[in-house]
Amino acid sequence: MENKNILQNLYLKQFNESNAIAYNKAFVASDSDYNFQLLDNAYRLAGKYYAKLKIAIDSNKCESEHCTLELQQLKQLEEAPQASLDFLSSLIAELSVTEESNFDPNNNYKYTIANSLMSGRPGFSKTDGYQAYLDLLPNGSQQVVFEGPAFVEPLVINSSALRALLDSDTSLVATTPDIGANMLKLLTEVGLFLPEMIGEDKQLKASAKISEEFILRNINGSYDYEIIDLGGGKGRNVLKFDMAKIEKKVTPFINAEVAGLMSSEQDVVAAWNVYISKDTSISEDAQMAQNANAAGSSWSYELDLPLAQDKKVLFETKYKEYFMNNYLKQFTKNQIPTVKEDAAVFDLAEAKKAKAQKFLDDNNLN
Amino acid sequence: MYGAIIGGALSIAGGIFGASAAKKRQKEAAREKRNLKNKLNSLEANRQAIINPFSDLSGLISNPFSNLSVATGAAEIEIEQADIALANTLDTLRSTGAGAGGATALAQAALRSKKGVAASIEAQEKQNEDKRAAGEKQKQDALMREGQRVQQGEAWEFGQREQREMQELDRTASMLGAARQAEAQATSDVTGAITGAVGGALGSIGDYYGSR
Repeated sequence: MENKNILQNLYLKQFNESNAIAYNKAFVASDSDYNFQLLDNAYRLAGKYYAKLKIAIDSNKCESEHCTLELQQLKQLEEAPQASLDFLSSLIAELSVTEESNFDPNNNYKYTIANSLMSGRPGFSKTDGYQAYLDLLPNGSQQVVFEGPAFVEPLVINSSALRALLDSDTSLVATTPDIGANMLKLLTEVGLFLPEMIGEDKQLKASAKISEEFILRNINGSYDYEIIDLGGGKGRNVLKFDMAKIEKKVTPFINAEVAGLMSSEQDVVAAWNVYISKDTSISEDAQMAQNANAAGSSWSYELDLPLAQDKKVLFETKYKEYFMNNYLKQFTKNQIPTVKEDAAVFDLAEAKKAKAQKFLDDNNLN
Repeated sequence: MYGAIIGGALSIAGGIFGASAAKKRQKEAAREKRNLKNKLNSLEANRQAIINPFSDLSGLISNPFSNLSVATGAAEIEIEQADIALANTLDTLRSTGAGAGGATALAQAALRSKKGVAASIEAQEKQNEDKRAAGEKQKQDALMREGQRVQQGEAWEFGQREQREMQELDRTASMLGAARQAEAQATSDVTGAITGAVGGALGSIGDYYGSR
């Protein structure tokens, strides 16, 4: 079921983005009717009903005692237009999440279809067999019903239910947090970089380097370098970093970031499915919506919410790994020495010989 | 397009889509606000504890002379030895046929010896009492100093915490303030869009109601 849902979402995404429909001769040649007329249809009989109620009340010919019921219905009818606007605008805001580039395809694909329909996407018109209705219900609430070939069964969304969800800070469609932006911001907050390394845009400058206190040194104060093999018998020094100290420093900030995300568990599930679930790299994430590589290890909105404690812990652990591997590593790997003479490329064999000699000298083994 | 999909006057459809965009911004701002609150709570809860270098050590202060005991053991031995010596001397006197005068003199000597022992105990007791009193005074003085030091430490700790919390609060206020402002602006945009659209909608629905 979950895989079918992901495939549906990915197909819809690709369908909407591929422009393939533009090359469909039958589509281009035919008329497409997007005239769903939600409000027109919903209020078509409202005028008559309003007049009937008004006349009954004014002429005291109500069916209920003291016209209680009629007055209540009249009030509902008077408030209905604003309620419709509020409902439809909330619904469109929710459905539009499906258009975001990092949208989690584990969300119910029917919302993606509903959004395609509401935004008049080619292939989702009345001519294509789709229909949408706005119903004013006797209890004062309203509902939108979506129907069409891809829905299998109608998708019904009630205004009261949607209002209740939104009032409790819950979404109909989960928004995926922009983990990339969060992590770039996190880099500036974890205390590894001096304030002058942070630009006016509150991002790290291109020249940013981790503070000296996290670079490993020898007892005599000189830098403790790692030698990397450049090939062709040449090598060069690179800085070594105190990773334990770095990890200790960044952990509380990462935990705080995760605690922030946990304010909406829906968002955590989305972030997990799109970014964190596997040890993905940033470039893989860019492909995420296409290849859905979270599918096997993805979390379900229906089954995994509220999140169990072990999942929260797992998310925190993986979030940290993701940060360390994809964002911090570039500042700790292959960093050229700041001391000019140490930064030069050298003959690897000579360097090894010199190192061996130094060891012999230091230990009086000559 | 939106007008056709939604229906009603064009202003209604425009209002709906304007409001939906504003609602999205409102939701994002609200989410940002929640995130920041949780994040700051976590940072505050997990920050390093403030160690008070002046913490209360008064429990460690005691009077070392409070339980001094009198060395009665030695005195008891001395008395016992005097008694044994007396008994031995009496035996000697009896066997040598010495008179009662000698025995009296001996008894007086024993008495003097015991009096000496009693005096020694008394002196020790007096000495201990003096030490105890001096110790008590020292203890009270030390407690007083410790009390002052603890007060100083509490003031320092309060100052440190106050300073750190103010920094956190400033940051919270600044970040949350921005998020709240964004949320308020988006809410106002929603209201504006809806109000504008409702005007159109009411007109349009009024037309319906009026025409039928």
